[in-house]
Amino acid sequence: MRDVYVLGIGQTVFGKHDTLYVADLAATAALAAVKDAGINPKDIQVAYCGTNMNLGTIAQQSLQRLGVTRIRMYNVENACSSGSSAVDLLHREVALGAVEVGIAIGCESLSTHNRKVGKGLLAVDDHQGRLALTMPHFFASEMAQQLMEKRGATMQDICYATIKNHKVAKYNPYAQYKKEITFEEIMASPMISEPITMLQCCPQSDGGASLILCSEEYYKKHNKKSHRPAVKMAASIINNSGPEDANSDPLALPVLVDAARMACEIAGVDPLKDINVVELHDAFSAEELAAYEMIGICKKGEGVKFARSGDAEFGGRCPVNLSGGLLSLGHPLGASGLRVCNNVIQQLWGEAGDVQVKDAKVGMAEMLGGVLTGQENPICAGIQIMTR
Amino acid sequence: MSNKTIFYPRALDEKDGKLVQMANKCKDCGKTAYPVTELCQFCSSENVEKVPLSTTGTLFAYSITRVPVGKYKPPIIGGYVDLPEGTRVFGQIRAKAEEVKTGMKLKTETGVIWTEKDGTDVYGYYYVPA
Repeated sequence: MRDVYVLGIGQTVFGKHDTLYVADLAATAALAAVKDAGINPKDIQVAYCGTNMNLGTIAQQSLQRLGVTRIRMYNVENACSSGSSAVDLLHREVALGAVEVGIAIGCESLSTHNRKVGKGLLAVDDHQGRLALTMPHFFASEMAQQLMEKRGATMQDICYATIKNHKVAKYNPYAQYKKEITFEEIMASPMISEPITMLQCCPQSDGGASLILCSEEYYKKHNKKSHRPAVKMAASIINNSGPEDANSDPLALPVLVDAARMACEIAGVDPLKDINVVELHDAFSAEELAAYEMIGICKKGEGVKFARSGDAEFGGRCPVNLSGGLLSLGHPLGASGLRVCNNVIQQLWGEAGDVQVKDAKVGMAEMLGGVLTGQENPICAGIQIMTR
Repeated sequence: MSNKTIFYPRALDEKDGKLVQMANKCKDCGKTAYPVTELCQFCSSENVEKVPLSTTGTLFAYSITRVPVGKYKPPIIGGYVDLPEGTRVFGQIRAKAEEVKTGMKLKTETGVIWTEKDGTDVYGYYYVPA
């Protein structure tokens, strides 16, 4: 397997873009990545596009607008890990020598989706969905309640990620919400599924994000930004659950624990010591709290202790979601898998501005897709590790 | 005479006039999964037999949804029930909110869970305190 280099990144502002279609968002993001990379778009040899709700030949529709046609293109869906899957597929192609340079795009227009099916909680029409299982209900029962019962988490702990992530969102020009939020405001917002209130959930959002990966040879020949240190995508993992996950401890989900462990092994990093910055899937504030120990940045059982220590904040041992996270940046489903990679890459390039982690060398991007209820809704985890 | 239908295919079988949750019990690896699937979900064996799922279990985790979802009006109490086979099943709990606690014993019942606009009764399963 060859080394895989990051050449360019880009994204749209995330928010309510209800006059735009998903291909508009994808084309904007793809163009931004191409311009950041400074390459001729005609060099691109393969394209992968991840989107969850908007089916169609989105890669083709968006890239034709940049004059990129007649190459292999694929559209991929893996719930919230759709974007991560697009990255994973591209990474493998470059690593195995199938292409020298390619593009991954992630995009979502929930505005378009809501026009078709009506606004509301994102519902799944399956066995459990017909019994009223929704994402908030799943996270409220299997994560928030479990954290309170098994980790001694208080409501302050459960809401921690919303407060922390909103605090830094003002530094992110792409964020949907830039206002700080207090614990009182979170608890006063409408109750969705106890104990999860509206402000503990990420907002519905539209947006696109993209990145360009290439071989070492292509990087050396085409990278014009010599001030940028070379950043590699050292590992990419897509892992899926099995029937055991539905019957096991949701605070130690095998699918995520294994994904993070495998990625760290491949990248040769110890998550307790070597990871300087993380961007993860904080669709619910409780989810971020549960994720710390599952991705390995703190010891098993110590997620609440880690949160209370301040180590997940700017200035801490391993800051998480300095972009503002899904909670304030917004969560256009397919785009998020790309966006988390891009924010980690910015940190390693030293381009994260006010939230720059000093001397960041290793970063992890994590996504979690699906609703764990058994066979109808397995979980797909995506992990990328970037190194400088 | 109103029509009857089951809320989701494979969730319930009709046996001797009763609605029963049928599961796959694998003769090779010994594990049970619900609902029935083509092969064993754990070991891919064809050597599976359909068995009724246990009708009593323990509540592992739950929440109360306070917004409408589909046909349901709040409060919607739903949780994950651990059965003796080692299988965890999601379902609604018909009980007063104050009565519901993790670790409580529940039993499975079947009945109408909603009625369509044309009067069709939709049957499903749910849990009640045991």
